[in-house]
Amino acid sequence: MSRVSRERVEDALFRAGYWLLFAVIMLPILVVFVTSFQQGEYLTFPPSEYSLRWYGEFFASEEWLSAVVDSAAIGIGASVLATVLGVTGSLAVQRSDSALSRVLPPVILLPLLLPPVVIGLTLLIYVNRIGFTSAYLNIVVAHTLWATPLVFFVMQSVFARFDWSLRDAGMDLGARPSRVFYHVVLPNVRSGVVISAVIAFIVSLQEFIMALFLKSYYVKTVPVLAWTSLESSLTPMVSVVSAFLVLTSIVGVLVAAAVMNMEWLAEQL
Amino acid sequence: MFAWLGRRIKSQNTGSVMLIAPLAAFELVFFVVPFLILVRMSLNESAQAGPYQSGFTLDAYRSVLDSTLYHDLVFFSFKLGVIATVVAVLLALFYAYAAYRATGVRKSLLLFSIILPLLTTLVVKTYAWRPLLAPNGVLNDLLMAVGLTSSPIQFAPGMFGTVVGQVYIVFPYAVLAIYSVLSTMDWDTVEAARDLGASRPRSFLEVVVPEALPGIAVATVVSFAWSVGAYAAPSQLGSGEQTTFAMEIESLMLTAFDWPTGAAFSLLMLASMLVVSLAVMRLLTGSVGGVQDV
Repeated sequence: MSRVSRERVEDALFRAGYWLLFAVIMLPILVVFVTSFQQGEYLTFPPSEYSLRWYGEFFASEEWLSAVVDSAAIGIGASVLATVLGVTGSLAVQRSDSALSRVLPPVILLPLLLPPVVIGLTLLIYVNRIGFTSAYLNIVVAHTLWATPLVFFVMQSVFARFDWSLRDAGMDLGARPSRVFYHVVLPNVRSGVVISAVIAFIVSLQEFIMALFLKSYYVKTVPVLAWTSLESSLTPMVSVVSAFLVLTSIVGVLVAAAVMNMEWLAEQL
Repeated sequence: MFAWLGRRIKSQNTGSVMLIAPLAAFELVFFVVPFLILVRMSLNESAQAGPYQSGFTLDAYRSVLDSTLYHDLVFFSFKLGVIATVVAVLLALFYAYAAYRATGVRKSLLLFSIILPLLTTLVVKTYAWRPLLAPNGVLNDLLMAVGLTSSPIQFAPGMFGTVVGQVYIVFPYAVLAIYSVLSTMDWDTVEAARDLGASRPRSFLEVVVPEALPGIAVATVVSFAWSVGAYAAPSQLGSGEQTTFAMEIESLMLTAFDWPTGAAFSLLMLASMLVVSLAVMRLLTGSVGGVQDV
C-alpha cells in the first residue's frame, strides 16, 4: 500500500475511533433524558410509551422536593466556603514562599485522591467524636474538602496570569490592601472566581458517597435519595432526577465555557 | 493602621500568613485531625453494643489480616483497580490525543464530553448503564440483531458491567490528566519525526507517548486509587460476586457499626494503595518528583 492511501486508512480509523468513544460517553446521558419521559413503571430503553408522568410525580413528592432544598443549601454553603478558602489560600501561596505555602498544596489535593468512602468514614468517626451533629454542616465540610482543591488550582492559574505590578502600583498610591484587592485584583480575576464557585457548587451537588455517610434522617441530598431509592426499585423517577442533575452540570459547563473557553476549562480541571 | 498593614504586607509575608490561615486551619481541623482520629479509632476494641469500645489493641488489624473473606475483597478490589486502570488509561491516551489534535467546534465537543461526565453524579453514571447492559438491554438486542449471539449475554449484573461502569467513572479524570500535559506539547516535534520518515503510529509511540508520560502517570494513579476504592459501579452493576473493600467498609460503618474494624481495614488498604501508586509513579516517570499538578 502506498503511503498516501495507508495514511487515509489511518485517518479514517482514528476518526471513527474517537467518534465512537464520543458516542459511548454521551450514551448514558442520552438514556437518562429519554427514559425520564417514559410512561411505564419499570425502566426500559428505549421506552415503549412516552409521557410526563414521572415529572408530575417528582413535583408532587415532598421527599424529593425537600432533597432538592437540602442539596441546594449544602451546595451553596460548600461553594461559598470553598471559594473563600480556595481564593484566599491561592492568593497567599502565589505571593509567598514560606514553608506553609509549600506544604499546603499537596495537603489540600490529597482528599481528591483518596477513595471517597475513606473520607466518608473518616469524617463520620470525627464528627461523632467531637459531637458535631448537624448533618447540613457535616456534609458542607465534606464537600468543601473536595471542592477547595479545584478552586485552589483554578485560581493558581488565574493568578499566575495576573499582572502583579498593578497591585503594587495600587499599594504605592496608598490604597489599603483590602481596597487594592477589591478594586484592582478582583476585577481582573472575577471570571476565574465565578467559574470556581460554579464548579464548587456542581461538585457538591453531585457528590454522594460522603453525603451517604453523613446524612441524617432529615437531611438527604438528591443523589443520596436517588441512590437509596435505587436499592428498592429501578423506576424512571431516578431518570427524572438524573435529568435535572445532568442539566445543572450542562448549564454550569456552558456558563464557564462562555466566560472563558472549553479548552481553558479542561486544562484547569 | 491600614496603611501600616499595607506596608507590612508589601515588605514582608505577614499578609500571606493571614490569607493562608483560614485554609490551613480548615485542612488541619477537618482533614489532618480527623485522619489522626481514624488511626486512633483503628486501635479501639469492637463492641457488641455501639460502634466501638475504648481500648488499645491491634485486634481490628488482626481480624482483617486473618479473615479470608477480607483477603478475597482486597484481591478483587485490586483486580478491578488494575483492569479498570489499564482500560481507562489506554482509551484516555487515545481520546486525549484526539482532543489535542482537534480544532474548533470538534475540539470543544470532545472536551465537553469529558467535562460533563466529570461533573455528573456517580449515581447517574452507573445507573444509566443498567438498561444498556441488562440481559434484555440495548447491547444484547444489538448483538442478537446482528446475529453475533443467539441468546442474551449476562453483561450486567456481573464483571463486564462493573468494569464498564468503573472505566466510565475514571475515564474523564484520565483524559484530563493526559490532555493537560499534551496541551503544552509542541506539535513541531511530531512534524519533525514525520519528516524524518517515521510513520504516524511510530511517531505517536516514540514522540507523543514519552512526552505525555507525566500525564499518563497521574492518570494511572488517579484511576487506580479511584477504582480500587470503587463503590458505586460494583454495587449497581456487579452481581454480588463483585464486592470491593469500599462496599464492605460501608456496611461495617453504617450497618454492622463496627468502627475499629472499618478504620483498620481502610488504613491497611490506603497503605497498600500508596505503595502500589508510588511504584507505578517510579516506573512511569523515573522519579516521584516528576508530577507537578493534576
